[in-house]
Formats: sequence, C-alpha cells, structure tokens
Amino acid sequence: MVLAVLLDAGGRWSHGYELARLADVKSGTLYPLLIRLETQGYLEAEWQQPAEGGRPPRHAYRLTASGVRLAQANPPGQTATFAMPRREAIV
Amino acid sequence: MSAGLRRGLTDLACRALQATLPASLQAWGWAVRFEAASIPDDTKALLFTLDSLCGLMPRALAAHLPQPFASLPSDGASFSKGSTAMPVLDATMRRPRALGIACAIGAVVLGVAYMAIAGAPMRYLGINTGALVIGLTMLALLGRTAAARERWTGGAIIAMAGALLATALLGSEVEGAARWISLGGLAIQPSLILLPVMLVAFCRTRGMLATAGIIAAAVTMALQPDRAMAGMLVLSLAALVVIRRDRHVVVALAASAAGFAATLARADTLPPVPYVDQILYSSFDVHVGAGLAVSGGVVLLLVPAIGGWSRDPNNRATYAAFGAVWFAAIMAAALGNYPTPIVGYGGSAIIGYALSLLALPKLAGVPAGVGSRTSGTPDGSPSDRHLLVAPAWARVWAFCCRQASSRGGAMLRRPLSILNECPLSEVRIAHQCVQLWAFVSPPPPTHPPGSHRVGTGSTPE
Repeated sequence: MVLAVLLDAGGRWSHGYELARLADVKSGTLYPLLIRLETQGYLEAEWQQPAEGGRPPRHAYRLTASGVRLAQANPPGQTATFAMPRREAIV
Repeated sequence: MSAGLRRGLTDLACRALQATLPASLQAWGWAVRFEAASIPDDTKALLFTLDSLCGLMPRALAAHLPQPFASLPSDGASFSKGSTAMPVLDATMRRPRALGIACAIGAVVLGVAYMAIAGAPMRYLGINTGALVIGLTMLALLGRTAAARERWTGGAIIAMAGALLATALLGSEVEGAARWISLGGLAIQPSLILLPVMLVAFCRTRGMLATAGIIAAAVTMALQPDRAMAGMLVLSLAALVVIRRDRHVVVALAASAAGFAATLARADTLPPVPYVDQILYSSFDVHVGAGLAVSGGVVLLLVPAIGGWSRDPNNRATYAAFGAVWFAAIMAAALGNYPTPIVGYGGSAIIGYALSLLALPKLAGVPAGVGSRTSGTPDGSPSDRHLLVAPAWARVWAFCCRQASSRGGAMLRRPLSILNECPLSEVRIAHQCVQLWAFVSPPPPTHPPGSHRVGTGSTPE
C-alpha cells in the first residue's frame, strides 16, 4: 500500500505522517520500509523547508524512476518482488 | 494526561530513538521527531512516535551489535550501512585530547594502586593525585587560550628553556646532577614538566625562536646532566625529522644529539629511589597486581599517540612527537635510574603529561591548538587546508552566526540551499542552521512543496 500511495503521488513529495495515514500502516512499519526503499534506490528523500517560519524542516519522500517501475510491477494485493522470501526455520 | 505531558513524552521517545540509532540512520531519527512535531494532535503525535520507536528500535539495537550479529535476514538489504560495532570506542578515538585525559587519569589511578599495594607512604598517593588535579586544571585553563598561545608559542618555548637553564645553574644538586628545584618542601623536576610540552609545541610551531629554545634546552640537559631528558629530545626530534623534515628540526636534532652525547660522556651515579625508579621490574616482585598496574599504566600513556596516529592522518607529526616523548621517558625508566612517568611516585611527570596534551587536537582531523597556524610553519599546512575545504554546512553555520548578530535574515536564503551538502551525521547541525535562519529571517513567502532542499536524505558516498 505504501508503494501505491507513493505512486499515486506522482512526482509530489510526501511526508511520513501523511503516508502512514493514507496507506493505513503504522509508523513503526512505515519507517523501516522507507529506509529499505531508500537504501535500495527506490526512494528519494530530502529535507524540506517549512512553509511557516519557526517550524522544523520535514523529511519528504518520493519514488525514483526505478521505484516507480517497482510500484507499477507490484500493485496492491500482490507480494512485492523486492522483498526477500521469508526463510523457513531450519531445525 | 495533559497536552504538555504528552508532548514531553513524545520528545522523550524521540530522544531515546535518536540516542539508539547509529550515525548512518540519524537522519531518520530526526525525520520521526520533526514529523511528530508537525502533527497538531498531541495524542496522535505521541502514538506516531511510540510506534516509530517500536518499529525502529530493534533494528537500531541490532546495528550496535558486532557485525556478524547485526544483519537482519528478513531485511534483504543491510540496514546498518557503516559499521557502528564499537560506537563508544570510535567516539573516544575521535577526541584525542579527551582520550589523553582519560589515559592520564587511568595511569595515575593505576600508579596509585601500585603504590598502595607496594606499601608506599600515603603522602605519595596524595601527591600524585594532587598533581593530576593541578595538571588537568592547567590543561583546562591553557586550552582555552589557543589564539594567544599561537602567537606566543616561540616566546613560550624560549621562556621554558630559560627556566630549565636556571634549574641547571641554580637548582638543587644531588650527586653532581642539578635537575630539581625545591618548592614547598617538594623536589620538583622542571624538565619533566616543561620539556614534553616544549617538544610537542615545537612540533607544530617552527621558527627561529622556537628552534633557539630547543637548542637551549639541549644545552641545559647536557649541563644538568640528564640522559633521560636528553634522550627524549633526540628521539622526538628524530621522529619529526623522519615525518616532516625542515632545517629547523635538523638543526635542533643535531644540537640535541650533541647534548645527549655529552650526557653519555659523564657518569650518572644516582641510586634508584623507591617507588620512583626501576619499578617496571620491581613491581612484579611486590605483587603481580602491582606489576600489572604499572605495566598497564605505562601502556596507557602511549594510547593517545597510537590511536591518533591510526585515526587522524592530518596530525600525525603531533602524535609521533607526543608518542616519542613519552616512549623515551618510559625507555629511560626501563634502562636506568630515571623516574617512571605517571605510575611512579612524582608529580612532575603527571603535570608534564597533562600539559603535553595541549598539543593534541580536541577533535581528530581538526588542527591542534598549539601554534597550528603560526606563520611560516610548514607543519600546519595540511590542517589549514582541511579548514579551507571545510564542509559547506560548517561555512553556512559560521555565516548564520555572523548574520544572526546583525539580524540580516534576507541574506541567508542563498546559503540555505548549500545545506544540501550536509552529510547525514551532521543533520543536527544543519537543523540548527535552519532554526537560526528562521530566527533571523523574515517570514518566507509560500513556496511550492519541494522547491527548497534543506538537506539530503540519501547517504553521501
């Protein structure tokens, strides 16, 4: 869902709280995912100046070209191909 | 629960997250913190933060484990980019002077332990501890006057050489050696206090005056005579010749070699003093714990030089001189009846060690305080170059500070864009720049989202 929300945003930058709300995921799930996407080059992140003076800057995110392709190849409801298959416990 | 309490808890959770995250992920800690600050509802902000904390904390903790245990198989990609296996050690090694202070304290504690085990008079333990306090106090006071010291280093070396010469001519004489002055009933050895700091200062400030001071010190060591200190001069100057040769060092080395030869030509018949001389060997006869304390303390003295040499290439000449000075003192104690520095009884070496820490930079990669920018010194050049190519965020920070004083906020818009170059580990400073900018500048016009980049979230590689 996070990928879908980012894809829907197009080239527009999104913020963490907004993404969590729109994708209906908890922030504890969102941020590790964003970190992985950014590490793998699917996500671009930057600090943005606040619109109001005295407010802190905000971290904003949008998909890179490869991220867009990934999101298009993995619409909501499918298992994302970039994720490693879960390893079964070997006893 | 009041709104203030909820915001307080939010802030506390954010700080806990930031304290746990490795340097490579600090930007994400700030991301959560600022995002929480932007949520108007206090309860939602708190829940957002707590959930982020729960989600990121396991990985943050894993990043602090030794590398083989840090990877999370389910992640697919390495989460902890940049090893933080030993963050405390790294942080310590990045602060050579603080490391030196810690080593000085550790060595004095070990020396006190040795003396306590060996049954030395309690007064000895008190004197060594008092010398440590005096030395660190002097270090703290002198460390704040770097600018003045830079201008006067050459003169200070001459003045210290004069004090040593006065000791040779007027000081207390024992068995033909005049190395001490009597002060308040205590015999103090000025050469152990002054010579180390003279040498490390000379390492960073070369000129006619400083060279003349070192030559005078070499002559003084021959007059006293003092093989140990003459050997210290030779070894540290030889290290400087190897690392960064110039005519000043070569001349000083030639003079010190002549002085050392003169001390060798004269007999040194001073008997060993209990708890001062020959304790490197005798301590193991007392107790294995005492021996380990002495050996450990002696090794600690060299740790700042070894650590700095390996971690801070810009200041290697300084670390080499520092290490050579104290290695020479240790070798002298091992080979003859000379004081065992720091771990043996005697406050002079303790004060001398603390003062010699003035030469070490406070932060690795940053020029050390002593004479680092004195004109005509070739030594300072790499460090000065480092300053000139300082990161853009540092220049922005200095610019912001200047502008804040004049409150010319409009001028700050252009430098703000330079913050794009801010590395992840310095996001906090970048944020301070932005806050300062917001403070001094008039309210900005409305910008379309994304039109101003304040910093990058990507890893600078």
